[in-house]
Amino acid sequence: MAHTGTGRDKFARRSLGGLHRSIKQSKCLMVGAGGIGCELLKNLVLTGFGEIHIVDLDTIDLSNLNRQFLFGKQHIKKPKALVAKETASKFNPNAKLIAHHANIKEPNFSVEWFRSFTIVFNALDNLDARRHVNKMCLAADVPLIESGTTGFNGQVQVISRAVTECYDCTTKPVPKSFPVCTIRSTPSQPIHCIVWAKSYLFNELFGASEDEAPEFDHSEDTENAQEIKNLRQEAQELKRIRETLGRPEFAQNVFEKVFNKDIIRLLEMKDMWRNRKPPTPLSFEFLFSDLQTSLNPAQGDQKIWTLGENFSVFCDSLDRLSRRIQDLKAAGGDSLLSFDKDDEDTLDFVAASANLRSHIFGIECQSKFDIKQMAGNIIPAIATTNAITAGLCVMQAFKVLRQQISDARMVFLSMSGDRGLTTEPLRTPNPSCQVCSVARLDFECDTRKTRLGEFINEVLKDIFEYGSSISILHEKLIYDEEYDDNLDVSLESLGIAEGSFLTVMDESDDDQSRRVNLIVQIKNRPQANSDQAFVKPVRFEIPVKQAQPPSLDSLVLSGKDTGGNNGSHSNSDIEQSRKRKAEDSLDSNQEPNKKVKAAEDIIIIDDGYIEID
Amino acid sequence: MSSLCLNRLQEERRQWRKNHPFGFYARPQRGADGIDLRQWSCGIPGKEKTLWEGGLFKLEMAFPEEYPTKPPKCKFVPPLFHPNVYPSGTVCLSILNEDEGWKPAITIKQILLGIQDLLDDPNPESPAQAEAYNLFKKDRAAYEKRIRALVKENQAT
Repeated sequence: MAHTGTGRDKFARRSLGGLHRSIKQSKCLMVGAGGIGCELLKNLVLTGFGEIHIVDLDTIDLSNLNRQFLFGKQHIKKPKALVAKETASKFNPNAKLIAHHANIKEPNFSVEWFRSFTIVFNALDNLDARRHVNKMCLAADVPLIESGTTGFNGQVQVISRAVTECYDCTTKPVPKSFPVCTIRSTPSQPIHCIVWAKSYLFNELFGASEDEAPEFDHSEDTENAQEIKNLRQEAQELKRIRETLGRPEFAQNVFEKVFNKDIIRLLEMKDMWRNRKPPTPLSFEFLFSDLQTSLNPAQGDQKIWTLGENFSVFCDSLDRLSRRIQDLKAAGGDSLLSFDKDDEDTLDFVAASANLRSHIFGIECQSKFDIKQMAGNIIPAIATTNAITAGLCVMQAFKVLRQQISDARMVFLSMSGDRGLTTEPLRTPNPSCQVCSVARLDFECDTRKTRLGEFINEVLKDIFEYGSSISILHEKLIYDEEYDDNLDVSLESLGIAEGSFLTVMDESDDDQSRRVNLIVQIKNRPQANSDQAFVKPVRFEIPVKQAQPPSLDSLVLSGKDTGGNNGSHSNSDIEQSRKRKAEDSLDSNQEPNKKVKAAEDIIIIDDGYIEID
Repeated sequence: MSSLCLNRLQEERRQWRKNHPFGFYARPQRGADGIDLRQWSCGIPGKEKTLWEGGLFKLEMAFPEEYPTKPPKCKFVPPLFHPNVYPSGTVCLSILNEDEGWKPAITIKQILLGIQDLLDDPNPESPAQAEAYNLFKKDRAAYEKRIRALVKENQAT
């Protein structure tokens, strides 16, 4: 190390001391180059991380630019990973940046590949990818810094195999879906009316059939898609009305069908309204006679429209959309429209229709601005939250790189409460976690030549002394006591390949001695050894389950779902989903009652020296 | 694929094999390369001493990735004439609704027994199809006649 400490890493070197070298020598992976990712990449590069791989499958969108500061207008539609690399490499030309414009779930990002990193950072926006990286880091035994933000809230968690709990040790809230009964017949919240307007009414009038419009809001509607499709077949009336599109009576026909006739029909089912407030149908004639000059939508974004204003926007937007359909038809193209939150005509229509329906059911109306958020599934993203969270990620990474994982903390950032930052000790792995409380076996074989039966008999039974009550899961169940169809089938024919994971479950009746699940990771070695189809693994002890197996009758219920978000949870959600006691924490000296502590990372600036911790 | 979902479903399969109510069946679908634990074919017998006695009604259960946080979707195939069954065959029952009675601890056995109860004890407060609902409310004799015909068409063998 140069004694003068000149150059761009002078301050990093001074403040980090010996850690600076290990940071420089480390190879890290950042998954996701979005809100947190941009901030994090800047931090990593400026801190002096030597080699950084960036994986992101997304391209840059106009709406990213307010906070994803590595991107500019000229980058719209370009891959995030590549542009992030380009921009950030200018901050420190010494850093080696490698960008992958790809999905992290692709098989070439194998366990071996993960194993080549010193540390992995998650800067993701969805549960599925988070779970995948968690699983891969556990398999590769590489520490993971997991992070997430929603609005003003952020959180950072350090995950290290067998030392801390993993991402799946606690139940995560999943996005809500709405039962079709609620949407079609008994709405009780503004969102129910918005989903109705967007996914039902809009589609009926202007949209494609469900299977032709896969982009339609999966999170809310996939559950209902089939239902809506069937109900649609019933709704022949609406189809006939669609045929009157373009004629002067179109708006009145639509209005009277959905806001009058359908409501009257619902009212006929009297039992339905015994314990609910019955809806009040609306009259087109009445509203029409009262129609005021049309509303300028630009002015009315954030205020809640009156009934008359909703009616006026409904008619006006219906008219605009009809004309677009006719223009499309005239051009001989595809005469279908799909909802887009940034398409004013479609948004106006959905906003006005949702509010008219809300009015009918006595539900509070919403402003167009709020409806845009709800209909577009927009999760507020705040640049400052991302920046702070990304900073916290690096602070926790320092502890991992110093081999002081017991000092690492779970950090929460929030606007509520006395402190912006609160921390908790990391917890030990949940003994009943099916993702991390497992045994692991690397199995080298020629998948074409190795048959399932050989694996069961010669490996599981002969070497690991499993009894006959076992089941093996791949993506499907491939073997259990009553399903032995596949014994003579090669692993390859069962879709098992390099990097596949098999789960062996011990199903013996004796609950006392049932083993934890064995995760078998396949390493394909075609013709590694001409005599043998596979390499016989060395026997090791597979631990028995510590906790009682989750007896189905006594499963602890997860906390009440609080609706979907980006994967970060408010502190109260976390408290709720955590059933285990504070004694589980890594740091046994910690007072068990003192769960929430102020952030312990204090930065003192003194004469140009910065001390951390 | 969420291992929590599959682990739980395999445990359900194990429990069902060990013990299940008389007259019912529930088995995940067999494919060429394994058993798809997320698709089950089930049969629900009509309860004794009810209109539905003697019938066996086929139901398909589809488990979402988020199971058991989210409930399975239960659908009669073919769709069943019943006030709480949608024209598509989907069952509208509070324990199958994420916002109402669903709890991750509810077992497949409990779901099937719940649906069996619903057959003879419809909930008029959440009608799902107009035809069965209207008949049930307005002309009970005609409704019962329909049910008897339905049982005849779907005899348990």
